Amino acid sequence: MISVVDLSKRFGRTVAVDHLTFDVRPGTVTGFLGPNGSGKSTTMRCMLELDRPDTGGASFAGRPYHKLSAPLHEVGALLDAGYVHPGRSGRNHLRWLAASNRLPRSRVDEVLDLVGLSTVAGRRVKTYSLGMRQRLGLAGVLLGDPQIVVLDEPANGLDPEGIRWIRDVLVHLASQGCTVLVSSHLLSEMAQMANDLVVIGQGRLIEQCSVAEFVERHADRWVRVKSPAVEMLVNVATSQGAQASMVDATTVELRGITTVEVGELAARDGIVLHELSPQTGSLEDAFLQATADAQQFAAQPVVPS
Amino acid sequence: MISTINSEWIKLRTVRMNLVLFIIAVAFPVIVSVLVASLGDIDDLRVSDVAGLVTGTSVVTALLLGVVGAVSISAEFAHGTIRPTFAATPKRTRVLLSKAIVTAVFAVVAETLVVVFCFLVSSAIASSRGATVSLDGEPEARAALIGIVIFAVIVSLLGLGLGMIIRNTPTAVAVLILWPLVVENIVFLILSAAGVDHPQKFLPYISGFGLGDPNLASSDSLGRVAGGLYFAAVTLSVVLIGTLITTRRDA
Repeated sequence: MISVVDLSKRFGRTVAVDHLTFDVRPGTVTGFLGPNGSGKSTTMRCMLELDRPDTGGASFAGRPYHKLSAPLHEVGALLDAGYVHPGRSGRNHLRWLAASNRLPRSRVDEVLDLVGLSTVAGRRVKTYSLGMRQRLGLAGVLLGDPQIVVLDEPANGLDPEGIRWIRDVLVHLASQGCTVLVSSHLLSEMAQMANDLVVIGQGRLIEQCSVAEFVERHADRWVRVKSPAVEMLVNVATSQGAQASMVDATTVELRGITTVEVGELAARDGIVLHELSPQTGSLEDAFLQATADAQQFAAQPVVPS
Repeated sequence: MISTINSEWIKLRTVRMNLVLFIIAVAFPVIVSVLVASLGDIDDLRVSDVAGLVTGTSVVTALLLGVVGAVSISAEFAHGTIRPTFAATPKRTRVLLSKAIVTAVFAVVAETLVVVFCFLVSSAIASSRGATVSLDGEPEARAALIGIVIFAVIVSLLGLGLGMIIRNTPTAVAVLILWPLVVENIVFLILSAAGVDHPQKFLPYISGFGLGDPNLASSDSLGRVAGGLYFAAVTLSVVLIGTLITTRRDA
């Protein structure tokens, strides 16, 4: 269990995190979402007491981070896979980390094996690809076999196989009862692995709920209908207040009307339907909708010339 | 605490640059001592001359050990490894104290090796050329040889302290090296011009050099012990300021 209570952090005049409060439950993967510059990484650094919060703080299973005597046994954190000395080998990087928390040297080889880096463990980190560095970072997280895992953009730079692997690892950890907090920009990935979401914008909590609730609440919903008499159907649906947008000659998307209502209208007027399906926007749509006001670096839509 | 020291020791010995610095730090005084003992004039050669040769050349070792000290923390900031370090050991003073212990022990061992080896080799070469070199009844030469080891330890900790405060490797190393070579010499000239008697007494680094000087003239310096203590006190202040900054600032 992770509890963040009233966490605030400012850098000069910039408020990075603004009285943020949320909980992360054990046994779930909790996605930590927010636009660029929304304060996710600062929140994670403050949670680990690397940055000093101005107010509030975090606790891990009821204790603040500095009260953990051997933190790697309890909290595995990966803030940035780039936090390695390029001249040190992957194995030696893990060895100093392991030694600091009295973890045996054999554990280093175990985690290297687990992340698939055994064959390159003796090579200097500067020869590693970004994906290999992410795997090394994850090996560091797993070193102490922690019950709580905090990861900032762990899928960054990974290939599809790597992304899938990290997803499987996190889902497995959660299924073992671990508390997993993971930030990511890959919303489709998040939709596949997260149970809960903590969504922030401009340092403030926008929403904490399950992924399903979040999509339900924020994503666009419409009805897709395919019919040989689509124009007739559009006429009756729009007369009931629906908005129609044609997809092709026989397919229309209707908003402001339910599938039940469309079905009943079609039956009433004897209109043949080839498809009638409810549609929901993706997590990405829901995220963009929910954070529209909190985008710090919003780009203009690209208009084809 | 032992685990943190062990972790810092692994860090120190698993970076190739430290190995390169160590080799240069050992090789330079050995080569120069051997060359001077072999080729130099040995008429009226006294043990204090050999001790002076050894301590003079191994000042370079001390400065390079200072660079090792500075890099041991500044590289952590440069590569971001300070964050996993403090995440693994949230008690920052424990990390910094471990770094200080590892740096100081490394400096003692490296400088002692250099001094003993250089003195033995230089003495042997001088003896083979007919000179008599012995430390018996030569307390000043003996004190200088021990003093240069203490000097190296202080410089290595000064490097660590500067690294904590400055956080940037090139700047920290530049300050460490230029402080004695440039800054204190300029201050010396200014103080001399201002009519201050024995201005070197006020300069911590130059006072520290007295630790390894077998021909230290006590009249115009603080003397070996007082000068060493002055340099150590200044270094301790730098380390304490660095510790205060590192424990309070965001990592």
